[in-house]
Amino acid sequence: MRWSDLLRMSSSNLKRRKLRTFLTVLGVVIGTASIVVMISLGLGMQQSMYEQIEESGGVNSITVTGRFAGQEYYKDGSQDDTEMQYITDDTVEMLRSLEHVKSAWPVVSAEAILKKGNYISYIQLQGITEEAMQNLSMELEPWGRYPEANATELELLFGNMIITNFYEEKSGKGYYESGELPDINLQQDKVFLILDQQAYFSSQQNSMGDSMGGTSQDGNSGQSQRIAKKHSVKVCGVGAGGLDAYDMYSYSVYCNQEKLIEMLKKEFRGRVIPGQPSSKSGKPYEKFVYTSVDVQADDINEVESLCTTIREMGYDVTSNIEWLNSMKEQFAMIQAVLGGIGAVSLFVAAIGIANTMMMSIYERTKEIGVIKVLGCGLKNIKQMFLLEAAFIGFFGGLIGNILSLLISFGLNMVVSGSGMVGSGERISYIPVWLILASMAFAVFVGMAAGYFPALRAMRLSPLAAIRNE
Amino acid sequence: MKKIIEIKNLYKLYRLGDTFVRALDGVSLEVYEGEFCAIVGTSGSGKSTMLNMLAGLEKPTKGEIIIDGQHIESMSEDQLVQLRREKVGFIFQSFQLIGSMNAIENVALPLSFRGIPRAKRLQMADKMLDLVKLHKQKEHFPNQMSGGQQQRVGVARALVVNPKIIFADEPTGNLDSHTSEEVMQLMQNIVRNQKKTLIMVTHDNHLAEYADRVFHIIDGKIVKIEDNKRKREERGEKE
Repeated sequence: MRWSDLLRMSSSNLKRRKLRTFLTVLGVVIGTASIVVMISLGLGMQQSMYEQIEESGGVNSITVTGRFAGQEYYKDGSQDDTEMQYITDDTVEMLRSLEHVKSAWPVVSAEAILKKGNYISYIQLQGITEEAMQNLSMELEPWGRYPEANATELELLFGNMIITNFYEEKSGKGYYESGELPDINLQQDKVFLILDQQAYFSSQQNSMGDSMGGTSQDGNSGQSQRIAKKHSVKVCGVGAGGLDAYDMYSYSVYCNQEKLIEMLKKEFRGRVIPGQPSSKSGKPYEKFVYTSVDVQADDINEVESLCTTIREMGYDVTSNIEWLNSMKEQFAMIQAVLGGIGAVSLFVAAIGIANTMMMSIYERTKEIGVIKVLGCGLKNIKQMFLLEAAFIGFFGGLIGNILSLLISFGLNMVVSGSGMVGSGERISYIPVWLILASMAFAVFVGMAAGYFPALRAMRLSPLAAIRNE
Repeated sequence: MKKIIEIKNLYKLYRLGDTFVRALDGVSLEVYEGEFCAIVGTSGSGKSTMLNMLAGLEKPTKGEIIIDGQHIESMSEDQLVQLRREKVGFIFQSFQLIGSMNAIENVALPLSFRGIPRAKRLQMADKMLDLVKLHKQKEHFPNQMSGGQQQRVGVARALVVNPKIIFADEPTGNLDSHTSEEVMQLMQNIVRNQKKTLIMVTHDNHLAEYADRVFHIIDGKIVKIEDNKRKREERGEKE
């Protein structure tokens, strides 16, 4: 038999019993729609999670830190020098030479104090290379610009939330206590940068109370007369968005790396720069040690293996990919559960299909017998009934998908209208593969449900046709 | 003349509780090409069983059935379907037209099993309906036709595949006597003109007169073979 004839016979059989076909298809519609909508909710969640990850630095970036680089680790004394892994220029070079590394930029971070009038703020200053600076995707307020490499003095780039870190030195009240932003005009005013916190504190102590002055207990009386140097620095730019927008740069302060290292070396000449390793005798390490390296992989699929490689080299590695992978597993679970709930209704629909097919075979026992006597091949009979079931699945899947798209659209409308999630985010997301997969699945379920009825039809005795009632 | 059907020592046993019923009890017969044969018997005589076995719808318990040179008793169901598709036409007692198809589509149906394209199929069916003198009812559905018209569609359907053998199971069983005569004459004419072999089962001795040869069957055994053709020749009747 030709396929066109099989199709014609199957579809005309379905048309003959319009109401029953409609009801059976309706079952599949509901089943498909519930699966698709359920999974689309999971996918929507996953997507907004991906967007969050993208905001926090993407999945291609790996942060490499030295092992035992901090002083407190070193002072344990239990570790040998050989186990120290400091990040020096050599390390950066080596990381760059690894496969799948797009870029590796060293980062120096230093704790510092910012002062402006009555206000004071403790910050973590990030010294990044010129190249890394070019690659910051930070949006600035219109007046701002990125720090320039050849500026005469250090220039700072503020994240949009940094201003909230300032508080009044005397009362200790900041933005979150008083609810008022500090009276600082970052665009015009210069701020003082203090790198030597120890000196600053001891000088504060000295000036604040003479009663304590004589007996400074912190054991660095030798340094107490040193006055913390106040560098006057300029804020060259502030992240855009005010206090409402949060992104990965919001609480960061960036500056040019070379300038920062230069300043640190000058400030702490002959001493150990805070955060830098030192030998047991208190002598500084011969090379400058970076705090971390920001490595960008060129391929998202290589991030994990790259992490392992760097870890084997003895460095500590953090990246979003590991977090992402564990999230992925969780989302796969959520989607499986949601899809499973939807699948129950499709399963019920499948029983409906099987029932309809059985009924139609009972009704057509004679007819099937007749076409068998007239020479219709057994295979053709089976195909005819499988096609009928597949039709039911197909139309159910098709209409079900249209319905799901409408539901998804409606859900997204409602959610974006009520502002439950951030603007532009969708609670339900139906990718093309989901549509195709659910259609294929609906057809498959239809055929699976129709298989045994079809076998039954195939095996019906042709004698039934000749038997007279 | 060439033998087209040959039955040798055919048995069919049904099990009824603990006892066996012999529906066919050692039947042997031969049918030649172009013959019109009737199998006559009362209900329960085994005549329908024999027809079913000739058409490959039932398996014999013992014995041989040779149709057009092929042993069918050991054929698989697929092979039997193929045999029917290629060599056999079937006329049913209660017509068995497909209710959702009109006359011409019903006639064309067996051709679709052979994979003949629709346009060609309908053309062939159209010709066949002309042959059975249903010119006006080609587009009618079975429920719009009388019993006689329906059975003529059934005859056309059996003939359209150009079969070597046509089996008819009480073809006039559901028709009144007048219509029965019409249908019988139609069948007789067509068989003669087209040189088909027709095997008809009936309980009506009068209708069996149309046949060339009549096999009388009682309790699963052929008890008498009438040769109407020779009788007619003896009576000097013209065909």
